[in-house]
Amino acid sequence: MDAILAFLTVFTQPELLLLVGLGTFAGVYVGAIPGLSVTMAVSILISFTFSWDVYPAISLMIGIYMGGVYGGSRTAILLNIPGAPSAIATALDGYPLAKRGEAGTAIGVTTVMSFIGGFIGIGVLAVAAPFVSDFALKFQPRDYMLLAVLGILLVGSLSEGSLVKGIFAGALGIAIGAVGRDPLTFTERFTFDIPLMQGGISFIAVMIGMFGVSEALMQLHHVDKDAVRQKISRIVPSLATVKKHLPLSIQTSSIGVVIGALPGTGGDIAALMAYDHAKRVTKNPERDFGDGAMEGLVAPETANNAAVGGAFIPMMTLGIPGDAVTAIMIGALFIHGLNPGPMLMVDQPDMFWFIVGALVMANVFMLIFGLTGIKLFTKIVEMPRAVLIPLIMLLSIVGAYAVNNSLTDVYWMLGFGFFGYFMRHYGYPLGPVILGVILSRLLDDNWRRAIISEREDLGRFFGGLFSSPLSTVLFIAVILIFVSQTPIWTRAKARLFPARKEVKQ
Amino acid sequence: MNIETDHHDGTSDATPGGYEKQRRPGELVFCAFLALASLFLVWDAWGIENAFGPNGLSSPRAIPLATTLVMAVSAIVIFVKDMRLPKVAGETVRKDILPVTVVILALMLVAYGVALNSLGFLPTSALFLIVAIKLLARRGWAWTLAVSLGSLILIWVIFRIVFTVLMPSGIVPEAEFIQLFRNLLSGAN
Repeated sequence: MDAILAFLTVFTQPELLLLVGLGTFAGVYVGAIPGLSVTMAVSILISFTFSWDVYPAISLMIGIYMGGVYGGSRTAILLNIPGAPSAIATALDGYPLAKRGEAGTAIGVTTVMSFIGGFIGIGVLAVAAPFVSDFALKFQPRDYMLLAVLGILLVGSLSEGSLVKGIFAGALGIAIGAVGRDPLTFTERFTFDIPLMQGGISFIAVMIGMFGVSEALMQLHHVDKDAVRQKISRIVPSLATVKKHLPLSIQTSSIGVVIGALPGTGGDIAALMAYDHAKRVTKNPERDFGDGAMEGLVAPETANNAAVGGAFIPMMTLGIPGDAVTAIMIGALFIHGLNPGPMLMVDQPDMFWFIVGALVMANVFMLIFGLTGIKLFTKIVEMPRAVLIPLIMLLSIVGAYAVNNSLTDVYWMLGFGFFGYFMRHYGYPLGPVILGVILSRLLDDNWRRAIISEREDLGRFFGGLFSSPLSTVLFIAVILIFVSQTPIWTRAKARLFPARKEVKQ
Repeated sequence: MNIETDHHDGTSDATPGGYEKQRRPGELVFCAFLALASLFLVWDAWGIENAFGPNGLSSPRAIPLATTLVMAVSAIVIFVKDMRLPKVAGETVRKDILPVTVVILALMLVAYGVALNSLGFLPTSALFLIVAIKLLARRGWAWTLAVSLGSLILIWVIFRIVFTVLMPSGIVPEAEFIQLFRNLLSGAN
């Protein structure tokens, strides 16, 4: 009963409803405007909403998240620039459709399919999370440690680029998270005897720097490029189209939820796997894949929105984020005094059900805003980068300053912004850094608990790994990721993910 | 099938920059810096002393030492790999990595941070936006001033009043201004 009441919170309070709506609306545009990203928006937003109550702040951020995952498809279709990693596969068939002048239809189908996928994902989250959470209570410290390592490694290896660079980025994140006084023994770590460093580095400063300033600096390379105008006509798809693709959309949504629920894998992988699946099961597409096939749009869009619900499962039950965006969402929950993990469901089940409710509402708003306001949309997307970039920079500074009212955070933010700029140029993924910063504490605490309970004996620790099936599976998964860098695996992968290969070309 | 034509620079989260089989200008220097910095951090992590017991596997030193070692080893691996790669043809640091605009904007950001406390939020931001937008858009002064001041006012209203974020007021008597405004409003009622 309490669960239902908590679930309905967002529907009964107009203020929260408004915030979810506003967030979703903003999210769609943030996802769609080239140069803005969901990670950027949520990380800047955290610093502004942290003085708010939990419910309104979370409502706004969930709206942005949901809207943003969907909004990324817009630029993928219209400009062939995926607004988010999860929209890479959408561009494969979406852009050819737009080139034929069917951008409206493409956007319409995308919207409805995102809505269906989103609902399936949320449904699975509502049903599965309590069980996973129960199960997670039995986890031992070493399992948490392994999960954290696995998450960071997966984000590093599955995003494009080399795993070694991903590993470096993840380790860097953990090291950044360790700066300051160690919470257990109060020992100074990486402080270089500077008093300012004792409190550690604000992870919000790191996030805003990496995703705000570094991205804005990157955009300077494209400041002269004009936004492309596209004529968009009829957008609401016919019922027949939706019905026709319903069976496929349910299959690809399931793929999306499962992939999204694995720690470390998010919407991007889900979308590509779903695209691949659609390619295999569609016997006679009206048009070839890569040439504007509707199925090639349905599959990734249902999957990446279903992955949102899926990604919330490990995030809320284990405290392990799936990708950069969920890592930032965890950061947001931390800021508001919530502690994502199995105890969240025990201590504050109302919070969980509230989030589920907010997700449902955001999904509905996404459908509404996706199918309306197309005129306004084309106007906003044409906002010149020459104005957008300085504004992002200004907001990044205000955001970094606002958290602690301190200039030090602004300098950290700028430092990480400049550093992130070079990382982007040279192909070092930024996602693992953020994941590392967020998971640093969890990793450190659980490693120490695990090794103390094994009386500081490495032999016993490794023995313990094979005493429980869960630890064994996790440990083997970590090893597998390293094996995946050998040539044998590359050949196997080429057969498994042909869609990914196409993207890389 | 192509997704983007010239997007090897990490402009969107979807496409981290860099080339898989080639080395960009400055990449080796950056990597050497990472390797050296990591080695320094390994040394620094080694110096973390446990005040309450031996520096064993569960001491505060363990995870920092392990992660910095991982950083150093991976940076060295990347460095060795990078050394073997051919350079990207036609790219230079000045043109593709650090063009003048990027350097200027980066310096402006630092200057903003320095000026923020003494000048205050509104004047610093106004200066920053006007110069940056003029520089990037290369349009008339009227347009530049209208766009930059207009958006600054919008940002200020949203963040100062809706989100109640307090920025250093500096030389502008912001609080007095808001109070005056409130008095006017309450006087009207």
